[in-house]
Amino acid sequence: MNTRAGNIGSFPLSQSKGGSLRRILIFGLVVIGLMVYVGGKVQIMRLGYQIDELEKQKRDLERMNRSLQIEASSLSAPGRIEEIAVKRLGMVRPAKENVVVVKRKQGGAARNDRRPAAP
Amino acid sequence: MLMGVGFVLVGLRLVHLQIFERGDLTRRAERQQERLMKLESKRGNIFDRAGRELAVSLDVESIFGMPNEVENPRSVARELGRILRQNPADLERRLASDRRFVWLSRKVDPAKANQVRDLDRSAIGLLVESRRFYPKKTLAGTVLGFTNVDNKGIEGVELWYDKMLRGTDGWVLAEKDARGRTVFPGGHGFQYQLPRPGKDVTLTLDEVIQHIAEKELDKGLAESKARGGVCVVMDPGTGEVLALSVRSTMRGRAAFNPNEPKQYRPEEWRNRAVTDLFEPGSIFKAITAAAALEEKVVHPQERIDCSTGSIQVADRVIKDSHRSGVLTFTDVISESSNVGTIKVAQRLGKARYYQYITAFGFGRKTGVDLPGEIPGLVRDHRLWSGVSLGSISIGQEIGVTPIQMAAAYGAIANGGMLMKPYLVSEVGDPNGDEGVKFAPMTVNRAISEETSKTLRRILQKVVETGTGQKAKPAGYTAAGKTGTAQKIDQKTGLYSKEDYVSSFVGFVPAVSPKLVIVVMVDSPVGAVYGGSVAAPIFKSVAESSLTYLQVPPDDLGGRMLLVSQ
Repeated sequence: MNTRAGNIGSFPLSQSKGGSLRRILIFGLVVIGLMVYVGGKVQIMRLGYQIDELEKQKRDLERMNRSLQIEASSLSAPGRIEEIAVKRLGMVRPAKENVVVVKRKQGGAARNDRRPAAP
Repeated sequence: MLMGVGFVLVGLRLVHLQIFERGDLTRRAERQQERLMKLESKRGNIFDRAGRELAVSLDVESIFGMPNEVENPRSVARELGRILRQNPADLERRLASDRRFVWLSRKVDPAKANQVRDLDRSAIGLLVESRRFYPKKTLAGTVLGFTNVDNKGIEGVELWYDKMLRGTDGWVLAEKDARGRTVFPGGHGFQYQLPRPGKDVTLTLDEVIQHIAEKELDKGLAESKARGGVCVVMDPGTGEVLALSVRSTMRGRAAFNPNEPKQYRPEEWRNRAVTDLFEPGSIFKAITAAAALEEKVVHPQERIDCSTGSIQVADRVIKDSHRSGVLTFTDVISESSNVGTIKVAQRLGKARYYQYITAFGFGRKTGVDLPGEIPGLVRDHRLWSGVSLGSISIGQEIGVTPIQMAAAYGAIANGGMLMKPYLVSEVGDPNGDEGVKFAPMTVNRAISEETSKTLRRILQKVVETGTGQKAKPAGYTAAGKTGTAQKIDQKTGLYSKEDYVSSFVGFVPAVSPKLVIVVMVDSPVGAVYGGSVAAPIFKSVAESSLTYLQVPPDDLGGRMLLVSQ
């Protein structure tokens, strides 16, 4: 440290060169610092705009999603489904003679309960 | 010297303004600089009993203009008029006004909103608002009702539950700049109150049964060329209304669509199941029978002489539609004999009979949660004339609403308890907290369980062998009563010989009823009897609804397979 100080003191020309260099260096550092600061600010602003844009997109998508849900709800109206089933798919209600009701015999279940358990 | 005086004067004025007029000027400045903006709360949704959406709120955009910033109102109005399909002259008039803010079009379609946005006019802006939308269109339109442009309930459930559905509007205190533009200050001291969304309402209505009731009623009305009709489907055990269909065909349009309320007249969206009374006619004989059986003034097998075909009641002769001979009381009801019914009612006397009329809920509002309900028309028995007892026993001289009729037959079906009909089962927050559930409510006991059972058998005979055979659903037992009531001719004030109300009220299955169904057809043309006009509608509604509810058929004859496991 002392050695370096001694060296500078013994060369006045170098000292003035070094002083202007230091000033340039400081100026450069300040400029770089400012650029970093401004760049950061610009970046923050840009990100802010991006966030704003994405939030708008999110809102639009949510709105679209809701609209689609409601459209699905509209399309699933029983009247429309019945019309498609009958007119487009040719579906019909089962006739009386096509229906067989399967009913459990009274006491049937009870008899089953009394069955001995399998070994 | 002069300058000194000037400074003193200015100083005094400063003191006057800063100290003495401070309060007033501050208020004026705030008034000029601040704007309280309303934040509209989101209206709650309406669901059917299975959680299917029947009424929802959609975010849509409204278009506004700032006339003080419009340079050429005519050209802007022309452009907007083309997009919004509105009269350009009207838009121009609004844009040329001396106001700072004018609505140009409220709650427009998204496509139109985008086109307006693309115009990129600084004096034209868009604001998001909430619009009511009914995705199932005409389904249950008269029950749901509708809202106005400010989302306020105007009719139906939307009106009855308006306070709960609306929520609480919020506000924000914004600032205005020199040109009157709104600036949100943000940061510390930013005053606002967020809006609280409205609560969701869940109905007892079932979308599918509602559709069935509407479809079958429409079909029946078209066949009978009737002026209108009502079909109510109710759970007799709880009083839950599962379907309530009201139709008016007077203007050639059968159904009310709440998405376009301005296209309809009040008589098309009024819920006539609760707001209008009608003379029930023979369906009221079930009430007479219930009173007579409960008071034990008649036995179901007692033979009553109806051979004369007419009966003198005070100064009036009341006739049967056909001469019947001697009938058991069961047959009096199943054949719908006026003579037999009046003879039995006379045994009861006015006071005792009146007691049962009120016990079944007639003459007072049922309390159903719909606006505009009327109590019907039942005069106190002390005001009855000599002919009143006879007339009322066959459903004349009395006014009832279809919902009252549903509740009364519900009592016959469920063992004698009169239940309060209701349409909303739950009101809850959209996030699921703080829900309020509505439980079935018993009004009073109308008749004993034993009487109810006896009467159910009598009414089953109406469908099996009596006047209501066309009401018999395939595969199921049914019980009910037909009614054909003459309407009063508005010109003469007498009973009309051409204008009738045809009805059928009953329940299915007859032994353990799951549904009470009221069908009322107003002014059918051609066939007018309830057994021919209303009974087939009852049959179709009952068949489809029971199949949908997966109620096992109880009357299939040989087509029942018995298994032991």
